[in-house]
Amino acid sequence: MKKTLTVNLGGTVFNIDDDAYRLLDNYLSNLKIHFRKEAGADEIVDDIERRISELFAEKLSAGSQVITIADVEEVIARMGKPEDMETEGESSSADAGSTNAGGGYGAGAWSSNTAYSTTRRRLYRNPDDKMLGGVISGMAAYLGWDVTLLRLLLLVVLICGVGTLIPVYIVCWLIIPEARTAAEKLSMRGEAVTVENIGKTVTDGFEKVANGVNDYMRSDKPRTFLQKLGDTLVMVVGWLLKICLVIFAIICSPILFVFGVVFVALLFAAIAVAVGGGAALISLFPMADVVLPTSPLSAIVMYIAGILLVGIPLVSLVWAIFSQIFKWQPMNSGLKWTLVILWIVSAACFGICFAVQGATFPELGIFNF
Amino acid sequence: MRKGMLEYCIMLLLHKEPAYASDIIQKLKEARLIVVEGTLYPLLTRLKNDDLLGYEWIESTQGPPRKYYRLTEKGEVFLGELEMSWKELNETVNHISNS
Repeated sequence: MKKTLTVNLGGTVFNIDDDAYRLLDNYLSNLKIHFRKEAGADEIVDDIERRISELFAEKLSAGSQVITIADVEEVIARMGKPEDMETEGESSSADAGSTNAGGGYGAGAWSSNTAYSTTRRRLYRNPDDKMLGGVISGMAAYLGWDVTLLRLLLLVVLICGVGTLIPVYIVCWLIIPEARTAAEKLSMRGEAVTVENIGKTVTDGFEKVANGVNDYMRSDKPRTFLQKLGDTLVMVVGWLLKICLVIFAIICSPILFVFGVVFVALLFAAIAVAVGGGAALISLFPMADVVLPTSPLSAIVMYIAGILLVGIPLVSLVWAIFSQIFKWQPMNSGLKWTLVILWIVSAACFGICFAVQGATFPELGIFNF
Repeated sequence: MRKGMLEYCIMLLLHKEPAYASDIIQKLKEARLIVVEGTLYPLLTRLKNDDLLGYEWIESTQGPPRKYYRLTEKGEVFLGELEMSWKELNETVNHISNS
């Protein structure tokens, strides 16, 4: 005996088993997530819904009264997993500009199916097993470690007084993307992205919902009062942190603006240096002769390095905040690493220039710091 | 290339007569052009967004109204261009395989 639901699918009413409904719902929301970057995403999913409704209608005209899970599975096999649709749709798409950076298998995927079975792990936040943002859980999946162990380790380190971990965690939360589609979840765990595995993930996810098991939150044993208290505490802290993050972003925005203005000013100064040499700069900054090294070459190097030093974190921060708010695509990893390397190089340049300058004017070097 | 083919075939089908998504699927499946049906829908929407296709709702005797797709004028022109390049491609391949 199973409970049934009544659903409106593409304008037709169906009676559908509870478990079949969950599977179908999961499938459709996976489709929505999959096509979210495409123009007319709603329309595509809508059309697919209509088609599914038509297939169900055919099924029912054969005599049965209720849509069962077998029917849904059959229809999904017929329509294809979201990732199958991408194989022919996205990868060979005429407007190659829209290939998604997050997937990592956009380009050569259709040359052969085996190109799909990449086992490279990618770092994602794990939305299925999370305490706060799923960062640790994602890292554990990435490293192949036990989640609880990693959490405990982190807690111990945190209690031992390394408070800097908190901002690091928040930055990770902002920067690391959440694993949303089945393919992303698979590559988070380093499993091959194959049709079979995706199927497994989709079904697993469905079973999780169906059994009402959210891994740690509702385990088999009834939780003690203390454990419940702990859960609530974690939840409250999570919410507080999220609220803090939003407030932080709001407070930061004027500061960011000031930073931006300073950045632009620095840029102009750099251009002025490049064009007019030292004389123009001294007129721009009356105090600048204190900071300026004697040789114009090292001045230029120092200014460019300085701009990159300030600019790269600034731009990344702004990007991270905006992508969080507006659901932009996260930066692709190549760009990320280039920026990181560029930043390190410019920091080194800046440091060297500063050291050289400090050596020439030791008393000024101390004064500046 | 395969997707280009698919688009060409869809447009060819719609050139003959306006059709509704499930008919297109039927024909493409007969021709073994698509494996999973889901492939078609993103394509149709993309073509529609490029103004090559249009659709209208037509009442159906069984069930809810259906979306009938047809080629727009722009689509007809584009199909002509596609036909030209397809023929050229065909000739090239024939020429090489015969020589």
